[in-house]
Amino acid sequence: MQNSEELKWALLIASLAMLAMAFCMISFVMYYQKRRFEEEKRINDIEKNYNRLLLDTALNSEETERRRIAQDLHDDIGTMLSLTKLSLNQLSKLVGNSGDEKEESIMKKSQSLVEETILHVRRITRDLVPTTLERFGLMEAIEEFIHKLEEDSNLVISFQSNTEEFPRQGQKLELTLYRIMQELVNNAIKHASCTKIDIALEIDEEMIGLRVTDNGVGFDPEKIKESNLAGLGLLGIESRLAIVNGTVQYEQPAKGGSSAIARIPVNPASGNKPEPLHPFRRERVNI
Amino acid sequence: MFDTLSGYIINNPTFSIAVFITILPIALTIIRKAFLDQSLRLLFCYLVIKLIIDFVMLYYASARMNNLMFYNLSIPLFYALLGGMFYFKFNGQRQRRLLVVSILGFCVFSTWDIVNSNENLEDLKEHRIVLYAKTVEGILVISLILAYFYEIIKSLKIPNLLTFPFFWVCSGLLLYYSSLIFVAPVLHYAYTWKDPMELGMAESIPSIFETVCALLFSVGIYHYSPKDYAK
Repeated sequence: MQNSEELKWALLIASLAMLAMAFCMISFVMYYQKRRFEEEKRINDIEKNYNRLLLDTALNSEETERRRIAQDLHDDIGTMLSLTKLSLNQLSKLVGNSGDEKEESIMKKSQSLVEETILHVRRITRDLVPTTLERFGLMEAIEEFIHKLEEDSNLVISFQSNTEEFPRQGQKLELTLYRIMQELVNNAIKHASCTKIDIALEIDEEMIGLRVTDNGVGFDPEKIKESNLAGLGLLGIESRLAIVNGTVQYEQPAKGGSSAIARIPVNPASGNKPEPLHPFRRERVNI
Repeated sequence: MFDTLSGYIINNPTFSIAVFITILPIALTIIRKAFLDQSLRLLFCYLVIKLIIDFVMLYYASARMNNLMFYNLSIPLFYALLGGMFYFKFNGQRQRRLLVVSILGFCVFSTWDIVNSNENLEDLKEHRIVLYAKTVEGILVISLILAYFYEIIKSLKIPNLLTFPFFWVCSGLLLYYSSLIFVAPVLHYAYTWKDPMELGMAESIPSIFETVCALLFSVGIYHYSPKDYAK
């Protein structure tokens, strides 16, 4: 009888001990899993921030390098071309006095070539550094960009905004939107075989939206991203947007063509006006 | 018949609740369509078969008939169904092969144990519970659960365990088999027709945790969403 009682107690204690172990095991799995997830998340965040910093630095370097090239073009080649033009003007007067028609025609051709080169250098300088963007803002820069494109091609490009006075944004944000617009329009011209491009800029209290729509052949963004080289432009857009917490969405409108919408949180320019981006000054771009 | 059965249910609430609580996860499986998942489909089969066997055993017990034959026969069947559940959860081919071997091996072992524990198989009145098979089943199921927990921790595929149905299923099984593992071999000696031995509280613990297990199954099935499993 006593043995039976002892057996009951032993069984009870053993079962309870086993149950306690089971409870501990379940709690341990839950706790350990949670901790490992937190650690993993922390590592991912560090990696993400590091990549973002790396990307930011790369884009900063790119802008600085663009400015340096623009500055060299303006200061060195630009100056030399202006001097050449002056010398040619003086020489032209001398040739004009001699009365030789052949010499005069060669002189005029040289003068027009130099003038054309000066114009090209100016255009390249402006393309490298969007001075209008820095001085007058995004809307004016986009309008200037469209104007130049329409001069050089038969494209019909329209631009509309939901506000007449687009408020100035942070330098980095404006430059990002401008570069994305450039990339999307260039992509449409290069790959979409389109005849019409619509650019729309919208702003509300929280977000800025940039929509570029074309009437070209359209594309599947996923397929393009999968192919290594072709998707570099789109990846570049996504990389730029990642730095300013923006997103991009591609659509295929029912009427054909393609549409890209980039959205970036509003970041108004701080009180002190940024130093204008200008090729005449040697300085680092703080984007 | 009904009076005897209801009288037995009222006199043995712990055992009876453990039998009828199984209806809850079964109903939830149907409502939440949890049978769409392969593992939970096997769990559904397990629960339905368990309910039938338990009910038959309850009826036999109320009619003062030996019902241990059903208990013994259910052991390999339950292990096959629970093992099958894990078959779909393990990723490694080696683990799966081991699992299939363990199911087949256990079926042979439990058959041997039934024969070994009963000198005369035809004498159903004196039929006794197996000596080792239930404990071995417990060890095997606990090992499968621990192996699965290890895989969960290693793979880090489940962001929130509390909303993952199979985690609740494993937790329920772990508690139930932990409560049973020491009691099971003693039942062979305690549950005899001529001279039964009362085990007191130790006897009720597995039934209590059988109820807890069914409740945890229910929580898990409640968290099941066909949308998540379609991925």
